[in-house]
Amino acid sequence: MRWVGTAARLVIGAVFAFSGFTKVVDIDGTIRAVRAYQLLPEAIIPTIGAGLPVLELALAALLLTGLLTRVAAIITVPLSAAFFLGVASAWARGLSIECGCFGNGGLTANPVPGYVRELVLNTVLMIAAGWLIRRPVSRWSLDAALGLQIEPDLDPDDFHEHDDDDDASTSNSIGVQQ
Amino acid sequence: MSSGSATREDRQAKAAAMRAQAAKAEARRRMLIVTGAVLAVLLLGIGVFVVVQNARRETVAADAATPGNLGPSNSIVVGDASAPVTLVTYEDFQCPVCNEFEQLNTTQIDAWVKAGTVKVDYRPVSILDRASEDNYSTRSLNAVAALVNSTPSAFPAYHKALFAEQPAENGPGLTDQRLIDLAVTAGAPKAAMTTAVKNLTYKSWTVRATEQASKDGLTGTPRVLVNGTEVKEPTAANLKAAVDAAVAAAK
Repeated sequence: MRWVGTAARLVIGAVFAFSGFTKVVDIDGTIRAVRAYQLLPEAIIPTIGAGLPVLELALAALLLTGLLTRVAAIITVPLSAAFFLGVASAWARGLSIECGCFGNGGLTANPVPGYVRELVLNTVLMIAAGWLIRRPVSRWSLDAALGLQIEPDLDPDDFHEHDDDDDASTSNSIGVQQ
Repeated sequence: MSSGSATREDRQAKAAAMRAQAAKAEARRRMLIVTGAVLAVLLLGIGVFVVVQNARRETVAADAATPGNLGPSNSIVVGDASAPVTLVTYEDFQCPVCNEFEQLNTTQIDAWVKAGTVKVDYRPVSILDRASEDNYSTRSLNAVAALVNSTPSAFPAYHKALFAEQPAENGPGLTDQRLIDLAVTAGAPKAAMTTAVKNLTYKSWTVRATEQASKDGLTGTPRVLVNGTEVKEPTAANLKAAVDAAVAAAK
């Protein structure tokens, strides 16, 4: 089951790394894309446009390395939900914007495939983040290496795995295992 | 005997439970420290980045170099000021769909302008640097600004030439030299064009003009308005219908 957590981390991390990178190299374009949704007041649009890509990159770094997995997953859910609602409302209002989710601010002749792609993608992200909130313990993570994982109490599956598994990263590194 | 061994097992179990609990408490403590540290660094990083970006944008806003001969909203106005119909176009010289719009409509637009029916407010923007290896979107708009500053009458010919030679997306744009040569062919003075193209004299203006267009509701190019009403799919037939309707309404 720990591999599922690893996969969830890598999926969310990869998406945020890509979308954060394409946004951060074109901050003016990202600000225009935020404005194109016509959802936020002009006063905060430049701050959101500049801050969002950094937040995405930071979450990507945390998830890809498995540091503070649960915290990162908790931040991912509202962020992804905001993207989902933004895209859904743009679609509902018939706004012809290429979503800007990956750093684009351009017009497409038919924006519907882009909307659908973004809604599906953000749904996947929320599901993956939900999994990580419930089961933040995963393989190949800094959380394990640094002894930050709080082992779940009610997880016979994992306890069993624990017993016959000598992977140090899955046990508390403080040496309680005999 | 057996009870003694049970007690020992009991004690061992109790001790193990206590160790496990201590380990859990230790993990929690570390978690809190690391969470606090990481969140602090994250917030600080975002804050610094936002401040730096705001400073950069203020510098751009404060740069005074603005091309002359512009109409309102950074328009390059072509045609009779008293024409009953105003056609507004937002275009990017790197945008393939804008080129398509040009190829479909340039003949009829020329005819309308010549007849005094339509005046065109060209509002070029640079939103597609990411689709170019060498920021062609910005470089081409800077060159247009330089040309309009010196020789506004050369704009229609230059505009046509830039679309005729539009580079493919995600590759190199026209060279600076080609931008200068085309401008000179269209009628602009070579020395002024060379200076402005090489120095990107109007780069900040390209950012300001693009930002203004975004604030005016631009979400993508091309955007075409006839007397203030957007023509969603500006094919030749749709544009003609919109212009005809606007002419009829103006009578």
